[in-house]
Amino acid sequence: MKRAIKAAFFGLISIAFVGSAIADITFVSWGGAYTASQQKAYIDTYSKGSSITVENYNGGLGEIKAQVEAGNVTWDVVDVLPDQAITGCDEGLFAKVDQSSFINDMVVPPVSECVVPQIFWAYTAFYSKSAFPGKKPKNIKDFFDVKKFPGKRGIHTWANALIEMALVADGVKAKNVYKVMSTPEGIDRAFAKLDTIKDHVVFWSAGSKPLELVSSGEVVMSLAYNGRIGAAILSEGKDFEYIWDATVLEQEYLVAIKGGNEKEALEFMAHASTAQALADQAKYIPYGPMRKSSIGIIKKGEPWFIKEGGNIDILPHMPTAPKVLKRAVIADPVWWADNGAEVSERFGAWKGN
Amino acid sequence: MSQKDSFVKFEKVDKSYDGEILVVKDLNLDVPKGEFLTMLGPSGSGKTTVLMMLAGFETPTNGEIYLDGNPISSIPPNKRGIGMVFQNYALFPHMTVKENLAFPLEVRKMEQSEIDKKVSNALAMVELQDFGNRMPLQLSGGQQQRVALARSLVFEPRLVLMDEPLGALDKNLREQMQYEIKHIHEKIGITVVYVTHDQSEALTMSNRIAVFNDGKIQQISSPDVLYEKPNSSFVAQFIGENNQLRGKVKSISGENCIITTDSGDDVHALKININNNGDGSLVSLRPERVAINSSENFENNFEAKVKELIYLGDHIRSRVEVCGNDQFIVKIPNSYKGANLKEGATVKLSWKASDSRALDLN
Amino acid sequence: MSQVQTSTGPILTTDGIPLKVSLKKAERKNKIRAFLLVLPLLSFILITFLVPIGDMLSRSIDDRQINTVFPKTFEVYKKWDRQGLPSEEVYKTMFFEVKNSEGYDIGKASTRMNYSKSGWKSLLKKSKRKFKKIEEGPYKEKMISIDKKWGDPEYWKALGQMVDPTTMGYYLNAVDLKYDSNKNIVQQKENRRIYNKTWIKTFKVSILVTFFCLILGYPISYLLATLPLKYSNLLMICVLLPFWTSLLVRTVAWMVMLQQKGVLNNLLVMSNVLADENRMQLMYNQTAVVIVMTQILLPFMVLPLFSVMKTISPTYMRAALNLGASPLHAFYKVYMPNSIPGVSAGCLLVFIIAIGYYITPELVGGKDGQMVGNWIAYHLKTTLNWGLCASLGAILLAMMTVLYWAYNKIVGIENIKLG
Ligand SMILES: Nc1ncnc2c1ncn2[C@@H]1O[C@H](COP(=O)(O)OP(=O)(O)O)[C@@H](O)[C@H]1O
Ligand SMILES: [Mg+2]
Repeated sequence: MKRAIKAAFFGLISIAFVGSAIADITFVSWGGAYTASQQKAYIDTYSKGSSITVENYNGGLGEIKAQVEAGNVTWDVVDVLPDQAITGCDEGLFAKVDQSSFINDMVVPPVSECVVPQIFWAYTAFYSKSAFPGKKPKNIKDFFDVKKFPGKRGIHTWANALIEMALVADGVKAKNVYKVMSTPEGIDRAFAKLDTIKDHVVFWSAGSKPLELVSSGEVVMSLAYNGRIGAAILSEGKDFEYIWDATVLEQEYLVAIKGGNEKEALEFMAHASTAQALADQAKYIPYGPMRKSSIGIIKKGEPWFIKEGGNIDILPHMPTAPKVLKRAVIADPVWWADNGAEVSERFGAWKGN
Repeated sequence: MSQKDSFVKFEKVDKSYDGEILVVKDLNLDVPKGEFLTMLGPSGSGKTTVLMMLAGFETPTNGEIYLDGNPISSIPPNKRGIGMVFQNYALFPHMTVKENLAFPLEVRKMEQSEIDKKVSNALAMVELQDFGNRMPLQLSGGQQQRVALARSLVFEPRLVLMDEPLGALDKNLREQMQYEIKHIHEKIGITVVYVTHDQSEALTMSNRIAVFNDGKIQQISSPDVLYEKPNSSFVAQFIGENNQLRGKVKSISGENCIITTDSGDDVHALKININNNGDGSLVSLRPERVAINSSENFENNFEAKVKELIYLGDHIRSRVEVCGNDQFIVKIPNSYKGANLKEGATVKLSWKASDSRALDLN
Repeated sequence: MSQVQTSTGPILTTDGIPLKVSLKKAERKNKIRAFLLVLPLLSFILITFLVPIGDMLSRSIDDRQINTVFPKTFEVYKKWDRQGLPSEEVYKTMFFEVKNSEGYDIGKASTRMNYSKSGWKSLLKKSKRKFKKIEEGPYKEKMISIDKKWGDPEYWKALGQMVDPTTMGYYLNAVDLKYDSNKNIVQQKENRRIYNKTWIKTFKVSILVTFFCLILGYPISYLLATLPLKYSNLLMICVLLPFWTSLLVRTVAWMVMLQQKGVLNNLLVMSNVLADENRMQLMYNQTAVVIVMTQILLPFMVLPLFSVMKTISPTYMRAALNLGASPLHAFYKVYMPNSIPGVSAGCLLVFIIAIGYYITPELVGGKDGQMVGNWIAYHLKTTLNWGLCASLGAILLAMMTVLYWAYNKIVGIENIKLG
């Protein structure tokens, strides 16, 4: 009897040791429906041993830099925006990644050596059908035209995407936007266009806000994250309509933090960036996979978006759908890494005047 | 009563805070000009309430108060011109002594030179000339007390109210202040209504004392009458030291009566507030009026047993058992006779019928 | 014996030790004990407060990042007369220091260089990649052919600001000034002048919020302090209720209340006070920031006020009335001065909290929503310009210190009372 207990005891201990040979990892993302889609698409299905703790954050490199500088890294995998992916990689906050398995399958080349692809999300304009019983706004020019379509506009409190949209509204071709933005006159031109709607804007900063603004009639149209609009249409049955023009596509990547459990983190990231994983994510949220082959998987699988009482076609809600892509601007993280601070300050001054 | 005689007049005043209990019941009181009247009574008997009604911080539930012949219930406190010394002095902590004293003068819009003069006079009166620029908290309790007194008098009110003003002082200081207040009262001849629960303070200072109990005046008289001739057992107990013998009325004849104590002894006493034979009564008797082992015989002579002796220097306080009461106190002058007493000894006590008062059984 | 003691020599104890020495010895023990007692707290404060503040202050002027990455370049750079473009020698040194750099220092350096001139970041990244293929000079020409920016004097002049190991640049930045390419202090470009306005706005909002908190909080606290306990407890709960809900929930609740199609406007329209097209703009502007922050910070005013007022004996007011003062005069001359410690504690507390606030302004302030705190958060998270964060923070700290000092001069710090 005594012996049996002893054996069981050592057995338990050895299990504990085996268990701890694979470190657990902390996965940090933006929360809400987005993280829920990640959870369902590739966290719940992960079976390589590491158990995954999910945390939320509000973006930015501040916390990561603080963790790395203090040598106390508690985050392992973080979902980041591309300009942060660049800066973080340059400053040595992120671990380098073997990109050979996906680099040729990507819609745009990866922004740095430290990332695995996730999705495109987009800033896009939208309105409520009930707000325009007659003529409906069709493009970003209409968004900036308060004579043709009177009423307030919802825009976000930071400069990203607004500069691009303003330029397209002012007649710049989508593919030339960054060329124009790289000249001082280009920025002036964008701000001049923004001036034309300045007295008609309501600012928002939380992602859920533009939906409320449009629903309540506080504004007649607004910019928003396309995923939020899609979720409102698909899951809540709202009568929202996208204005798929000058949609600004932003990239989203996963990175592994240096000094965390890098080995496990990289293993997990490989799992989380397969074409199948990215396609699966679109079952739950209408963001566009960054891998070309994911689109094929979705096309074949339509109706893809999972909904009670019958699935729904997801491709029309994706910012990477071909007809959207034709008129879209793919945000240039390099430009923003260079000029973000300066433009933000100028945008702040613009808002305050 | 003439105008002059009733400077302050309470007429059928009732007061209730909660609509259930009357804390002041049917109060009728006249205070002549220049009198030092003390309201004496146990805590909670309604003294402060009476004072607050007079000062205007509480309104009578019923009845009317007159000041100098005029009803005052419609006059707000700041227009009544009544000085007041609060129990905790209520000196304004952010003002110097001088500023405190100048406050009532400034609100009366006096000239600055006039104010200065009055303030320094007031400081001189309480002998605090050198403390004018101190803050109240930099003064001792007694000094604060005197500032409060000076402040209540500096604007020359017709009437000053004092609510246990000496309660926070130690014994020596209290006695000194009693003397000073009395002295000032005599000097400026102001009318004072004074509240205390300390009977010796009341006896020392007052022209008249109103003994309060349970919202009612039990007796109102000069200190000596109150002490010598209490007309209820409450007053007798409350003022000074007092021996009590419990019994029933055996017979009444004119001014006098005989009370049979519970132990069966017959005591001769003055009939004060008893009416019928067989009624219960308390016979009240001051300790200093009892003679011990006297050769003289008075109306009352009893044997008593000495239970306890306490040496107090000038006299010996002895507790004896007599007529069934073992808490009976006798004060024996520290003379030859007294010095020989022993605990356990049997002695003879005698007292006059005119010194013992047959009172109600309360 | 008494002669000895009254003589001019030192007073001795019974044991013949000078009294002062003996006293000191006795006191030393007490001092050591006192020190040991405060030691845990002292080290806690040191670690959690002083060290971070010291770190912040040093970051706000620290500029060594680049000097360590381009030491040789800076050597030759110093000889340059800052006219036109630098010489081939400068280009060459720069070329090799970029090409041979290892690790992440150059990435960090480029982040810093980008603060001085936007564009450095991508320029260095690109150059590092392309320089690998270049084996020999002339470097100036080849570098310019890789990227035109290498031929732009502005980039080279921007380097001049980083020559010294310390810089006032972050502080200048925080007040809309900057170094020009010759290291003279000049105003920031007009359309980037944002911080001074933000400072003024931050102060304005904080002062307004403090003012309204006082105006609203004073009577409430007075009521609380004078009401019988059973009522005052209930009222106190109402005042503190906001403390029990999350800041975000409260802020959102206000948005529902105040927006144009919100509860308040709807009520006014329904009751025909307002025409439908004249709905008031109460949300997404400074009014909203002041309203919402006032509500959120009110308890910080009420609590110190209440606890001070509670100690003001009601007999002071009675005494003042009794002495002939009208109720108003009594309140003004007697009650108010005694409540000043609470007023100052409350105002200081609310002001200090308000001045660093950023969530509420961001959510309800609309275009006026940015206070200094928002810019600190932005640079902390997004641009990683911690030097600028530190200088903004240090200026805030300095302002609070000045305020505290002025307060101490005028009111006296011993007059502050939290309870
Ligand atoms: N403000 C008040 N509200 C309710 N009851 C009170 C108030 N002030 C006094 N009382 C009650 O009235 C009675 C008389 O109180 P008070 O006049 O203060 O007596 P005293 O001054 O003789 O001690 C007490 O039972 C007391 O509890
Ligand atoms: Mg009392």
